[in-house]
Amino acid sequence: MPVVEFLQLTLSGISFGMVYAAIALSLVLIWRGTRVLNFAQGGMAMLTTFVAIEVIYHTHSYWTGFFVALAAGLALGAICELTVVRPTIGKPPLNAVIVTIGLLILLEGLAGIFFGGQFRSFPAAFSITGLKVGRTSLGVSRSDVFVVAAVLVTTLVLAVAFKYTSAGLRMRATAFNAKIAQLSGIRVARVLTVGWALAGLLGALAGVLVSPSTFLYPNSMDVIFVYGFTAAVIGGLDSPAGAVVGGLLLGIALSYASGYLGGSVGSELTSLIAFGILVAVLMIRPDGLFAGAQMRRV
Amino acid sequence: MSSGPDGAPAGAGHVPVSGDDARRGANGTGPSNRSAPLEIEGLVAGYGGVTALHDVTLTAGAGAITAVLGANGAGKTTLLRAVSGMIKPRRGRVLLGGHDVAGRSPEQVVRAGIAHVPEGQGVIAELTVEENLRIGMMSWPSGLGRWRAATGQQMPGGQQAAGSGRAERAAALDEAYGRFKPLSDRRRKLASTLSGGERQMLVIARALLSRPRVLLLDEPSLGLAPQIMAQVMDLVTGLSREHGLTIVLVEQNAREALAVADHGVVLNLGRIVASADASTLAADVTLRHHYLGF
Repeated sequence: MPVVEFLQLTLSGISFGMVYAAIALSLVLIWRGTRVLNFAQGGMAMLTTFVAIEVIYHTHSYWTGFFVALAAGLALGAICELTVVRPTIGKPPLNAVIVTIGLLILLEGLAGIFFGGQFRSFPAAFSITGLKVGRTSLGVSRSDVFVVAAVLVTTLVLAVAFKYTSAGLRMRATAFNAKIAQLSGIRVARVLTVGWALAGLLGALAGVLVSPSTFLYPNSMDVIFVYGFTAAVIGGLDSPAGAVVGGLLLGIALSYASGYLGGSVGSELTSLIAFGILVAVLMIRPDGLFAGAQMRRV
Repeated sequence: MSSGPDGAPAGAGHVPVSGDDARRGANGTGPSNRSAPLEIEGLVAGYGGVTALHDVTLTAGAGAITAVLGANGAGKTTLLRAVSGMIKPRRGRVLLGGHDVAGRSPEQVVRAGIAHVPEGQGVIAELTVEENLRIGMMSWPSGLGRWRAATGQQMPGGQQAAGSGRAERAAALDEAYGRFKPLSDRRRKLASTLSGGERQMLVIARALLSRPRVLLLDEPSLGLAPQIMAQVMDLVTGLSREHGLTIVLVEQNAREALAVADHGVVLNLGRIVASADASTLAADVTLRHHYLGF
């Protein structure tokens, strides 16, 4: 039944797409605040997921692990900003790029030392058996529904906080014009730290949500990072809404690709297709599909 | 301008700056708005290996308008940037009410009571008018700051800890809308939709919301039509005359600036080459030809 298969692939694509959206959002948060592309985002998410797996192992509670991972994400984001990123501010942009790549290598190395290099399976919050309508399988599980809901709720909470709270206004003002923000008395450095912390939280969320379907190992988030980065570029790097839409578009596109191209060939090709989309977007609309006319600043 | 440049500014420099108490009654922006002079002593500043300001000393009188004039590259903007902390001065002092704020960060300087309006109608275009105005109150003491003040730890600057709650902020916004009517009609619109004159209004309103004692204005007339420019100059005059705000006005347009200023200072290559009553400067033909271009 082609209709059912199409529906299954779409729903599964949405589930993965929300994970890419979370990573994309974390990249956008940092990019808007500091104009730094955080190549270590995947590594940070991987490390916090290892924290989650250890906590779950010792406490036998998924939810303890889940929330400890989110807290660890907040802390790791802030620590990374304060220690290695802060010194690059005001220096040539390449410095920050190299520093975040170095940070990625460091984090993956540390994970290898402390948690080992073997593949570990990560538990899902809810059942991973497919949901059915009547006798027709939908191709998604309760776990997939949770993935979508968790990212959606987190995104909405962040969006409301950005729009309606004083702290949110400080963050937006700093992202749009740090000079005016600073002259108005906003402690810009503190705002940037908070931005990195929130990005760390989103990354941690993505790591915990995606790891049941990928296994966990020091490099496990590399490919997820590439997908998240592609989603962010599709959305224009400056646009939080664009990041979410970009994540969903990419998730669905990759799901169709692996589904319709068949078996092992399809899944082998997904990374290649993601790169293809990335290159195409950069060539045709380098500012992304959602960039406003005046978005790029000097 | 048929009376010529000499006629227009005459008298402006001799308006006595007193009676502050009566002025502040109508102002209502709080106790931190009391007049204070800004004293700059031996300020040296620059960028990298370039020294743009050499040993600049000047006093902006309390409640008066001090015009800082000079050609492009004379160091006018650098002077404001060094005062507000956007660049760190290498030497010298910046005294506000006896406190030296030189070398502090911009966040600290604005809390001490010096608001800097940079050139170019610097609104945040992606935010609404009201959000831009709310940013002006970000320097107000937070809950923590008020707690510190209540427990006796002194705030570094001139700001009073009392009354910075929600109601006080709403009242301050209302007052800003009252003074700047065109902004009131556009509070939910993006700042990018404003005209040049409205943007200048918005940045000045935002700066005033920080409850400064000293206002640093960098080329507020730049890029404005003559009629709008006159309105902005009227506004600047009102802030000084009626509300006792100490104003440092940097301008390329020396004629307009001297027309509203009490005192004038001429910078050339980072040094002060003249400092006198605005009317005296405006009457000095040689100076005008050499440095002021009118």
